[in-house]
Amino acid sequence: MDAVWNAVLQLFGEYGASQTNLILMKHNLKPNYAIFRCSHKALDMVKASLASITQINGKPIALRVLGVSGTLKALQRQKPEIQI
Amino acid sequence: MRKFVDLHLCAPIDDPKRVERMVDLLAELGYRMVGIPLLPNVSQERMRQIEEICNRARVEFVTRVDLMPKTSNELLNNLGRLRRKFEIVSVACASKNVARQAAKDRRVDLLSPCLTFPCKRFFDYAEAELASKKLVAFEIDMAPILSSTGFPRIRLLSSLRKEVAVARKFDIPITISSGASDENFLRSPQDYVALATLFDLPVSCALQALSDYPLSIVERNKEKLSPCYAAPGVRVVRN
Repeated sequence: MDAVWNAVLQLFGEYGASQTNLILMKHNLKPNYAIFRCSHKALDMVKASLASITQINGKPIALRVLGVSGTLKALQRQKPEIQI
Repeated sequence: MRKFVDLHLCAPIDDPKRVERMVDLLAELGYRMVGIPLLPNVSQERMRQIEEICNRARVEFVTRVDLMPKTSNELLNNLGRLRRKFEIVSVACASKNVARQAAKDRRVDLLSPCLTFPCKRFFDYAEAELASKKLVAFEIDMAPILSSTGFPRIRLLSSLRKEVAVARKFDIPITISSGASDENFLRSPQDYVALATLFDLPVSCALQALSDYPLSIVERNKEKLSPCYAAPGVRVVRN
């Protein structure tokens, strides 16, 4: 989560970060995914920030957005492999 | 359904396993066509090897050469030698003269900024006006945006914002490519669309830059390089 906040801060500053209302809702190691909640108006900003992350704690990493949905229920339907 | 194209995958062609991993990842991310820059003197065997790797991943392979001439004469010589050997010809402009010559030449497909000297960016109104009369597109590589941080990235995004505004003003096609030499810098087309908003490229334009414009360049050149091609609108039909 720190890495995501740092990416948002680097790209959009504190003003931009304040507009995202970013919250980590769920994180799982197997399968490896995380669910974030953010303001729909800041969706492009959050997606760009996630895409710009290239390392976490010195380890090279690439985050990919698997899907976007308005509700957790619709997200579960979209991605049944993710357990919500 | 949109067909996404990455025209600049800088895979190390001497390492087929690495090329295979990168091409497989591209296929997984949703790309259907990939352009890999090759050396001007690349062997046919190497090209066939890369083509086989792409066929196995069900990704279409497009041959590409990246030219970095120091003078406009060198550019003209290289174009004369290499134009008919590769489907995509890209020119990295290290000087104003080269940039002007490349923008004026119909044989050039893509103009890209010089990465060795980031402060030397020559895509201005004059060059855009020249390019608008020919079929040259402006290419944006996303890997430098991902790999840089702090002031270098701020300067890069600022330059890109100005260049994109100039390109859009003169209706010059913009193409977005990964420019990735490593799997970590590969992103899905939707992620690149999101990153393109950082330099004020609208979502619809970014989607065109990842699919329609690069596809049209490849199709146009494939037709020109085919043995049946004689002139625009004229094909040789043999019985």
